[in-house]
Amino acid sequence: MHELGVLIHVVEQVSEVAAENQVESIAKLVLQVGELCSMIPKYMEKVYPAAIEGTILEGSELEIERIVAQGKCRQCGHVFGLIEAKGACPSCSDRQFDILQGREFIIKEIVCQ
Amino acid sequence: MEKFRILEIKESVFEDNNVQADLLRAELKEQKTFLLNVMSSPGAGKTTTLKKTVNALKDQLNIGVMEADIDSDVDAATMAETGVRVIQLHTGGMCHLDADMTRQGLEGMGMENLDLVILENVGNLVCPAEFDTGAAKNAMILSVPEGDDKPLKYPLMFSICDVLLINKIDVLPYFNFDMEACIERVKKLSPNIKIIPICAQTGEGMEEWYEWLHTETKKWNEK
Ligand SMILES: Nc1nc2c(ncn2[C@@H]2O[C@H](COP(=O)(O)OP(=O)(O)O)[C@@H](O)[C@H]2O)c(=O)[nH]1
Ligand SMILES: [Mg+2]
Ligand SMILES: [Zn+2]
Repeated sequence: MHELGVLIHVVEQVSEVAAENQVESIAKLVLQVGELCSMIPKYMEKVYPAAIEGTILEGSELEIERIVAQGKCRQCGHVFGLIEAKGACPSCSDRQFDILQGREFIIKEIVCQ
Repeated sequence: MEKFRILEIKESVFEDNNVQADLLRAELKEQKTFLLNVMSSPGAGKTTTLKKTVNALKDQLNIGVMEADIDSDVDAATMAETGVRVIQLHTGGMCHLDADMTRQGLEGMGMENLDLVILENVGNLVCPAEFDTGAAKNAMILSVPEGDDKPLKYPLMFSICDVLLINKIDVLPYFNFDMEACIERVKKLSPNIKIIPICAQTGEGMEEWYEWLHTETKKWNEK
């Protein structure tokens, strides 16, 4: 299970920022997760309580914003949603594309005191 | 009433590790130590391949081995039979090593006078691909029974590797593994990758691999 290990990193990173900013408590953590990133939101939610136990994030809520996977067709330049189109350009059906977004895994913000 | 505020962080999770990894790589370059990160699914043949490799190169290079495992010492015990410096790293449930853990391992083992350090990463094709360890080069072992479609399922892993060993070619007659198709799929993800089919059990094809590793180590260490 990959999500727990990665979330432990996230918690460390957030704890550092929290300490630098004299944060006393955190109500919510907001992450942005691309559709092509290997982190699966459903599993992240499941292991979140274990990852935050005993840290400044204990008791906080996790919010995940999805970033849609977008590709740009190398043939015709059309920009399309990769997951929806199953990797083939809806305009010319070519399968060669450059990924514009969707790989991200970003700590966006915390709601805190 | 308690007042909450929003604190913007906007940090990429992998970025933090990438910075640590670049730092470690630069230090290793300075010290003339070549770190090879070896990844595969469990059972693909990492320990078997690496033990043979160490035995083949240990007279020419000073070698150290780091065995990462969730919580067993089996591989380190096997590797210790070669007589080179070996350390077992316990990841404590983590499914990959990051640059910090790699650094701790190197410090624990002692890096003095080592030309080559081989890291046997945790057996898994997903997370090790996302966490740069600070290695000079990344190697992957794919074994024939896993199938020729693995590059389609784990594209990131194949795209970050410098060399791919296709292991267990002795069992090719029993599996419908299409070597040509597999190589083509891998090359699409990583055009400059070196691909070497081997049989770690008998040593077939391994000379080319030893040669690659020896040359890359020398190149890295000569400055
Ligand atoms: N048939 C065959 N079996 C192999 C070969 N290399 C390794 N094995 C076997 O595959 C199993 C797993 O090997 P091991 O090196 O422990 O894999 P690891 O988990 O990746 O370190 C062991 O039973 C090995 O004997 C090979 O070239 N051919
Ligand atoms: Mg092993
Ligand atoms: Zn198109």
